[in-house]
Amino acid sequence: MLRMQDISKIYRTDLIETHALRDFSLRVGQGEFVAVSGPSGSGKTTFLTIAGLLENFDTGTYELDGRDVSRLTDDGRSRIRNEKIGFIFQGFNLIPDLDLFDNVDVPLRYRRMKADERRKRIESALDLVGLASRMKHLPSQLSGGQQQRVAIARAIAGDPALILADEPTGNLDSLMARQIMDLLEKINDMGTTIVLVTHDPELARRAQRNIHIVDGLVIDSPPYEARESQRAARAGTSPD
Amino acid sequence: MSTNIRPLLSALRRNPTGALLVAVQVAITLAVLVNAAWIVAQRIEKIEQPTGIDTRDTFEIDILGLSKRFEVAQAESEDLAYLRGLPGVVTATATLGTPLTLNGGDTDLARSPGTDAPSLPANFLEVGDQGLRALEVPLVAGRNFRAGEIRPAGKHTPISEVIITRSLARALFAHGNALGQAVYEDNNDPLTIIGITRDFMGPQLGAPAYNTVLLPEMPGEGGFYGLLVRARPGMRATVLREAKEHIGASHRHAVIAETMTLTSAKRQFEANNRNMAIFLTSVTALMVAVCCLGIFGLTTFNVSSRTRQIGTRRALGARKRDVVRHFMLENSLILAAGALPGAVLALAVGNWLTARYGLPRLDLAYLAGGIVVLWGTGLLAAWQPARRAAGIPPSVATRTI
Repeated sequence: MLRMQDISKIYRTDLIETHALRDFSLRVGQGEFVAVSGPSGSGKTTFLTIAGLLENFDTGTYELDGRDVSRLTDDGRSRIRNEKIGFIFQGFNLIPDLDLFDNVDVPLRYRRMKADERRKRIESALDLVGLASRMKHLPSQLSGGQQQRVAIARAIAGDPALILADEPTGNLDSLMARQIMDLLEKINDMGTTIVLVTHDPELARRAQRNIHIVDGLVIDSPPYEARESQRAARAGTSPD
Repeated sequence: MSTNIRPLLSALRRNPTGALLVAVQVAITLAVLVNAAWIVAQRIEKIEQPTGIDTRDTFEIDILGLSKRFEVAQAESEDLAYLRGLPGVVTATATLGTPLTLNGGDTDLARSPGTDAPSLPANFLEVGDQGLRALEVPLVAGRNFRAGEIRPAGKHTPISEVIITRSLARALFAHGNALGQAVYEDNNDPLTIIGITRDFMGPQLGAPAYNTVLLPEMPGEGGFYGLLVRARPGMRATVLREAKEHIGASHRHAVIAETMTLTSAKRQFEANNRNMAIFLTSVTALMVAVCCLGIFGLTTFNVSSRTRQIGTRRALGARKRDVVRHFMLENSLILAAGALPGAVLALAVGNWLTARYGLPRLDLAYLAGGIVVLWGTGLLAAWQPARRAAGIPPSVATRTI
């Protein structure tokens, strides 16, 4: 699903250069739930912005869903973001003047989808996160946990191959955080690949695989092949 | 594109203040723009229209009595006799009202008596029986005033005949011959139209340029009258100099208030119209500029306050042109919200100008043109901030502050 090879990203100012990622390589398989953790300033968010095609990188190659996305045009990146990736942000990033229906509708409109199809997907996504009855509410009328569920509905409505979650529980209390993680696991069980960026070790432990980044380098990444055994362990069955 | 209107509208409804203020500004600007453009067009047309009179050989001397001992009727009579006997003079008439100037009067003429009857504005000239000849305006129907029909200066006997221009005749009697018909000033006695002239410009007050009515009256109210003189070609300067010297010296209780050639009156008339056109164009351009500044300001504010939202939209798949389109569409909606009441306001102002100042009814093409111009300049004003919004990187969405 996601294959990064020797990715480097340097932020430059007049005075200094900051190596946010150095020879960063990572492979995430189809249907995996991977947590990327590390201390503040380790390069987690840079990884997320590059994985989500929100920023360019300096060297290396990046394949997403079998396609080399290293050298796409701005429009091409927009299209891949829209069709292949669902984003969940720490601050929810809902549009305050739009009701829940229209918020979930935002990425679908950019896909030029027909109105009937959009409506079906929006209702289904909001139903999955338990907010179908509140689709005419504004984000300000919801709690933080509910807002994040709307953001999850927005992320899954387009049926993306990959969901990138950036500290999705960072602004929530522990109960709501657990609910959000339950929801993400449910979505992962439905076959969607999830990459979760977090600094919270407890949340990271709930993922099938943990990747630890320090100073822009992957310092601890269990092999991709371990995925099946971890999944089996979570289900309480033997991988054999 | 149309599918994006509903969420934009609902977002605008939830946060309407800025958009509403700009829409009001658009409405007022549109009403001013359309009517100012219409007035400017009329002014330019006036400059380009023929005056219909002999401006090259004609001049006017205005006499003002300084005491009650000034015998207006006698002075008028003596002046006219002198002028008509002067070599180089074709004819002369006493007059109140100078063609192409603001000296004169205007009135309202109706086809029936009463203050409620629909009327048309007309500029008037008081002249003697040599009036038409002095102006070199030919009759196209009917006859000139007879000497006996001219009301002497200082008398208040009723006037019962008038001569009007062809344009005024057609405006008053669109479906019939105006000759011999009666017209009315308020509740006054009927005035029979005895002659219709080729179109010419009388004094230019509130009425349309060619709406002129000639009244058979020797002026003299308040000790003031004008002498309109037409000289033979090439003789005007000489005649004017001699007449000025003689008349200036002949009246013990009056002075020459003003002398003016109709060439300079025409020049002044053109300058007045041109200046008014320039003034209106400048003021309107300023209003449009201020309106554009409002749109620019609102869009800039919206872009600044929605930086994260724009980044999020980009992250969710919006292309740069989608962001530009978003802001252009939003401003189109605001412009439409202003243009709609603005069009109604423009028509109302146009109707008022027609009723009050006799301006021709507003041409709807000007309304359509005004909407297009304001729409175009408004979107142009929103273009730069919209482009700036498109430059916001999608990575902004991941920033927590």
